[in-house]
Amino acid sequence: MDAPLLAIENLRTYFFSRAKRAFIRSVDGVSLGVARGETLGIVGESGSGKSVTALSAAGLVTAGPGVISGHIHLHSNGARRNLLDGLEKYARVTEQDGRVMAVEKDERGWRKHSETLMAGVRGKEIAMIFQNPRSALNPYSTIGKQLVETIRLHTNFKGENEARERAIHWLERVRIDSPRLRFDNFPFGMSGGMCQRAMIAMALSAEPSLLIADEPTTGLDATIQSRIVDLLAQLKTETGTTTLLISHDISVIQRLSDHIAVMYGGTVVETGRAAEVLAPEAKVRHPYTAALLASIPSADTIRRKSYLQAIEGEVLDTIEVPRGCRFYGRCNRVTEAIRENCAGLEPPLGDVASGHKVRCWLYPAARKA
Amino acid sequence: MRRYVQTPGRIGEFSELSVRQRAEPLDLVYMGYGLLVVALVVASYLLGAFGWLPHDPQAMNVGLINAVPFTSGHLLGTDFLGRDLQARLILGIQAYFLPGLLAITISVAGGSILGILAGYKGGWFDTIITYFDNLLDSFPRLVLILLVIAAFKPDIYYVMVVVGITGMPVIANLIAGKIAFLRQKSFIEAAHALGLPAHTVVLKHILWLNCRALLVIQATLGMAEAILVETSLSYLGFGVQEPTPSWGNMVQAGANYFLQGNFWPSTAPALAILATILGFQLLGDGLNNLLEGKRRK
Amino acid sequence: MKFAAIKPVSRVLARELAVTALLLLGVSVVVFAILYLAPGDPLNVLLEGQSPRSELALGMREALGVPHTWYGQYAAWFGKMLQGNFGNSIRTGLPVLPELTRVGVNTLTLTLGSLALTLLIAVPIAVHAAAHGDTAGNTAATIVAYVLSAVPVFWFGYIVVYVFIHQFGMFPLISGTAGKQEHAWLYFLVPIFVLGIASGTLSEMIRHLREELSRVLAEDYIRTARAKGAPVWRHAFKEGFLIPVTEIMSAKIPFLLGGAVIVEQVFNWPGMGRMAWQAAQDRDFPVIMGIALAAAAFVRLGNLLQRVVFTAVNPRASRE
Repeated sequence: MDAPLLAIENLRTYFFSRAKRAFIRSVDGVSLGVARGETLGIVGESGSGKSVTALSAAGLVTAGPGVISGHIHLHSNGARRNLLDGLEKYARVTEQDGRVMAVEKDERGWRKHSETLMAGVRGKEIAMIFQNPRSALNPYSTIGKQLVETIRLHTNFKGENEARERAIHWLERVRIDSPRLRFDNFPFGMSGGMCQRAMIAMALSAEPSLLIADEPTTGLDATIQSRIVDLLAQLKTETGTTTLLISHDISVIQRLSDHIAVMYGGTVVETGRAAEVLAPEAKVRHPYTAALLASIPSADTIRRKSYLQAIEGEVLDTIEVPRGCRFYGRCNRVTEAIRENCAGLEPPLGDVASGHKVRCWLYPAARKA
Repeated sequence: MRRYVQTPGRIGEFSELSVRQRAEPLDLVYMGYGLLVVALVVASYLLGAFGWLPHDPQAMNVGLINAVPFTSGHLLGTDFLGRDLQARLILGIQAYFLPGLLAITISVAGGSILGILAGYKGGWFDTIITYFDNLLDSFPRLVLILLVIAAFKPDIYYVMVVVGITGMPVIANLIAGKIAFLRQKSFIEAAHALGLPAHTVVLKHILWLNCRALLVIQATLGMAEAILVETSLSYLGFGVQEPTPSWGNMVQAGANYFLQGNFWPSTAPALAILATILGFQLLGDGLNNLLEGKRRK
Repeated sequence: MKFAAIKPVSRVLARELAVTALLLLGVSVVVFAILYLAPGDPLNVLLEGQSPRSELALGMREALGVPHTWYGQYAAWFGKMLQGNFGNSIRTGLPVLPELTRVGVNTLTLTLGSLALTLLIAVPIAVHAAAHGDTAGNTAATIVAYVLSAVPVFWFGYIVVYVFIHQFGMFPLISGTAGKQEHAWLYFLVPIFVLGIASGTLSEMIRHLREELSRVLAEDYIRTARAKGAPVWRHAFKEGFLIPVTEIMSAKIPFLLGGAVIVEQVFNWPGMGRMAWQAAQDRDFPVIMGIALAAAAFVRLGNLLQRVVFTAVNPRASRE
């Protein structure tokens, strides 16, 4: 099998709550892979750590302590590099009872080192688009100028005029009407949907190896959302760019992903091919995934006239991480046989079928990942 | 190198932390120093008011001029006429203490009224008060004071009225801002929905419950301003006149001696000014960071 | 800025100009009110152009054409000012406006020079603190700034003068002869140095610039800039640097003018500040009134310039 374009191994990104004097374990040991030319969709509720995973991959985590361990391998243009190379020199982690209780990090040093590592990568190899596109674009500059900036930085179109033409070409590709006029628009004069198209254009104009889309439809009106999803689907077939898609909206994930990873409480609880994970009558499924699917209306649930089921309990506060399975408190499929395990021991992410992994004591036959 | 350590055991809530744990250590230092200064000033004011001074502030001792501190019973030394500096410095507080209180009272009272009118009533009130604020801000305070002195008389209380009035815009702005914030949180709407009368909403809910920290902070900073104004004015010769001591006129009187190498008669009052203004400023800023500041990571 | 934007921009600027004019009108009313309420009837001095003579009978005043209603007096006074007649100095008998312009330049140099110096010190500290958070270095610098902001500027002036006398053998007093000495230009720098460091605005400048820059650096669009590998400063410049700097400059001009009054005393600098002091001593109303108006006008001019910069930079502002 071809090596994945992006391989995240055992990533841990922590923050620190000064108020509570405790770590916020946003990403607590996440391993993911994005295959070349494919789209990996990460789905989960807010607080699951999916956005932070993406930001860690792009080196955009600034708050302390930030990324404290792991590897992020980017395999592009024939080169294979670890974007967290040398992190061990800057971060020292102290564990107690298998849990991180202290971190010593040379933040300035790591930031400088990371900037050097990411210098040719950000914008060029890895491009990122964000939610709330209106605030993500510079309000003091026209979208044309911002596009031209990316093009001149990362492509061979260095001249002012040719970059401009290229920018307009990309505005056309994202289906913005009157691209020549829109070129001189400021973000505040454009709708959310148009701003998002512009941001997509900006990201793709650099022809990156990896596109990271962090909640690209969140913050947009419902009708616009589906248009953007359509656009992304079209661009996917047109350009074949490897994509890491993040969303809490499972319908968006469904529409665009080849593979899916479900995250909860800072860890991956299920991963596999989209068709398998989302199959309506799947035999093997993580209870959280099942609950997620049952909580949204779909043609299937409507046909069967089943009730929408809310997931009981509250989203895991990644400060007080429980000892056992993180979903134990809200799980409705615990049996007496496994209760002791669920309460006391965190299940490993194990294979239940080829390429399909689940982190659940219900499927103990799974081999360790 | 930054070290993050999680407290072992149970993770508590923010509100369980004591003030000492919640505040940034530096802010605590600032406030500690500030409180010390305020205490000293108040104590010294009282000493001066009752005349409990170590020496007669006017008694000249020609044999002991320009003495350094700790010379024969003079804790802070003597000036160029042999007068005890400690007594004179203590007495100098009289020059700005009560006038300063007048100034901050006017600022706080006037500013609150304007702020409430602008924020609570809004509309035309807001426009007019904003205009008025910008108008007051157009004058350099010292120039306006000199104008008033020229027109009326060099009375420190007149001056402090001017200082008080020119201090109103800042407070009015802050209060109007607070009201806008409360409005945004539907706080005011809720109060109205509960049927609370306007004056209760304004006095109890807005001012007392939400703005009192802000007002205390502004009063503290306002005192620093008042001291600055008074000392500058008496330096320029418009405040208390010799031989009555004021920190400003003491610096001025010792100026020639300073340039000849006798630094102390000018430096002692200057350091007093520095330490006192710094104290009020740091207290105000420290309180501001603690009570009104945004959380910094 | 595209040419198509000029029309709406000029609309906004016209509004700013109108507001400034309105404020200057208010300034004149305030000054007038003070003079009107002052004992000794200083207004008559201005309206007659003579020394005050309280024995002057009402009838004689009317005969001289001095109106006796307050609005009449205001109109007459304002009218005279529009003609450039600010009255004559009671002390010297010279017309006020030309004198003001003569010395005003010196105060302007002093004020703007010290503003520049304070900025020069504040900016690096603020930028460093915003970019790197609290380090030992910028915390120490902030504390020093606090102390400098509380230092009485007159005493600081004496220290500097002393150093100049004993280190350089020069006495930095500005007088007619100073200009002819060697290194005359140095004399001009000394008061600027003193006011620039000890004006009392340093710590607030640092705080404002740092807060604004920190706020901007945390904005979404800066994250996007980082994500696309673009230089952050280029994107943060307008909102995080240019606008806060012009804002704080415009806001602190009144404080620096006040400081100039004191510094001009220390150095005997022939500017408006020293003139104001003299006028207050002599109760020379025409002069002090003229200075108050000039100072306020300068403050409003600074504010107007800042609004112009803001409008020019902010695409939303020019399209209201």
